[in-house]
Amino acid sequence: MTTPTSPAPTADIDIHRLTALADVMLPAAHGMPAVSDVKAVESYLPQVLGWRKDLHQPLVRAVDALDPSLFTIDRLSALHEEDEDAYVALTTAVAACYYLSPVVRELIGYPGQAAKTYDPFAYTEWVAEGLLDPVVDRGPIWREVPG
Amino acid sequence: MTYRADVLIIGAGASGGVAARHLAEHGFDVVCLEQGDWPDRSAFPGARPDWELAIRKDWAMSPNVRSRPEDYPVVHDDSDIEPLMYNAVGGSMIIYAGTWPRMLPSDFRVRTMDGVADDWPIAYSDLVPYYNAIDQQIGVSGLAGDPAYPPHDDYPLPPLPLGAAGRRVAEGHNRLGWHWWPEPNAILSAPYDGRRPCVQRGVCTSGCAEGAKASTDLTHWPKATAAGARLITGARVSRITMDPRGLATGAVWLDRSGVEHHQEADVVILAANAIGTARLLLLSADDRHCPDGLANSSGLVGRRLMMHPFSVVTGWWDDQVEGWQGHFGASITSYQFYETDPDRGFVRGAKWALSPVGGPLNHILPMRAGNEVWGPDHHELMGRTFGRGASWAIFGEDLPEESNRVDLDPERTDSHGIPAPRVSYRISDHSRRLMAFQEARAEESLRASRCRETAVASMIPYSGWHLMGTARMGNDSASSVVNTRQQAHDVPNLYIADASVFVTSSGVNPTCTITALALRTADLLVQHRSEQKVPA
Repeated sequence: MTTPTSPAPTADIDIHRLTALADVMLPAAHGMPAVSDVKAVESYLPQVLGWRKDLHQPLVRAVDALDPSLFTIDRLSALHEEDEDAYVALTTAVAACYYLSPVVRELIGYPGQAAKTYDPFAYTEWVAEGLLDPVVDRGPIWREVPG
Repeated sequence: MTYRADVLIIGAGASGGVAARHLAEHGFDVVCLEQGDWPDRSAFPGARPDWELAIRKDWAMSPNVRSRPEDYPVVHDDSDIEPLMYNAVGGSMIIYAGTWPRMLPSDFRVRTMDGVADDWPIAYSDLVPYYNAIDQQIGVSGLAGDPAYPPHDDYPLPPLPLGAAGRRVAEGHNRLGWHWWPEPNAILSAPYDGRRPCVQRGVCTSGCAEGAKASTDLTHWPKATAAGARLITGARVSRITMDPRGLATGAVWLDRSGVEHHQEADVVILAANAIGTARLLLLSADDRHCPDGLANSSGLVGRRLMMHPFSVVTGWWDDQVEGWQGHFGASITSYQFYETDPDRGFVRGAKWALSPVGGPLNHILPMRAGNEVWGPDHHELMGRTFGRGASWAIFGEDLPEESNRVDLDPERTDSHGIPAPRVSYRISDHSRRLMAFQEARAEESLRASRCRETAVASMIPYSGWHLMGTARMGNDSASSVVNTRQQAHDVPNLYIADASVFVTSSGVNPTCTITALALRTADLLVQHRSEQKVPA
């Protein structure tokens, strides 16, 4: 079961190589930073692999298999065909690291799955406003059955 | 000396919990065997930063992906839908969405009304008192008066918030003249029975750490054990035992260390879901009395498996609606296309439920509608969609077919070496027509709700939450496994409390009906206790 865990060692993963791959997958564009701009891999990969130890070995395979100097999105698609587990590990780890960055979260307006309070009786306002009236006015739509 | 209980319940999930509480509160000596553990809410991942990583592995809905010791593998190589479940006290309620619709009157009369499948031997009216009672036990939030249903008792709690997306789609349906209604949810909108209300975190399907979403570990087991029921966790049942008179005598079970035990009982109730129950009946085959499986003189044990075909239609607006937030659960529902219209080229229909879309990983590594996009276009896609969407989750009615079935896999086993269940299942052409129609209408709905774009994820394989039909109810022992009391025709002290007994699937989430049926079965057992046959 996943519980809050310690960061995993990542000595067997070439962080610079992975970051170069990640920058192709998530480059700076449309007002968003590249993975390296927010240091997402070096900051969060140990924690991500601490949470998801099953990703570690397939990620090692993915990093070994891809040459950053030749890496393109088409090559990423090819990895999907060649080694699906490696593809899933690479895309999951890169995305998880990137979207754990507070800078990125701020830019997309995502505070995490936050708790919110609300008035449970606020529904009386939209009922009084008549939002349901057309539905009620059309009458029953269930079918009477014999027996 | 061997301890013998009045009632042995196998499985501590939705139906087991409801039956245990009712029987214990009526003086029965109840023992329950559950292969999982009590859930530890402090370990639920929803409030943690790794939530979206956890739901892809340790908190996956598939027992094959989770692969915890308490899970058993479900072989589904020959199935269009992957069966999903959770093994713990509370059962799959730990990971269900918590929507709480009743079945409709026509759902019990499918043959009479629409000329397909079979009628149930009981009617909607038989279940109404139990639906009403269960709503109170569970703590359902909703609004009475839905014209899609016959009038019934009000819910104990007010409806959960519509949210910005729910409000927009409600207005869209008003423009179309289509039905919508706030969805009843087994999720508290206000404090109830010592439990805290929902905080709209949007993580219901990976366990509700607040305890706002009902599951029987919260709503029934504490009361059952207070009334004397004994719940043994980490107890995996391998077979039901029988006496020479054809009565069940109890069950053999294995503890976590693999040590074998036997629990004796006067009455055995199976509550292990439509795959687990069928598996146990088949595992309990006996060369002398029941070579094809226990309670299987009809040959229908394991057959007629139904799993709702499930599609998701997502729409995105130009502006933010905090589409990751809210109960999951559903804010609103629509039964506009639920009842049969023969002009559509199919019979029966589907229920729609409007749900949040999830966090960033669910957008870029979608488990539902959408595609993975990498490179510069990734950011354009996220900017256009993230936080701006909502999804219609569409469950279509699945008609029973004997070829859709559960049997025992000849090779794979669970961690105790017990044969794993094997599922063979095909989505029918009828279901495909039904779902294609619903998907097109759902896109219309979202466009009328002013969504800028929509996407359809059609008949998603990873969607087998609703497991039904593998030991159907009926009056004729040649064509059904249990009678209207959910008592096995072949074994008068064996009952089945879970959705195995469903005759047809309806098009609604089944847990409300599962629990109402379990309460009815337990109540009838109490009423008929003096005439119950038991082993010597």
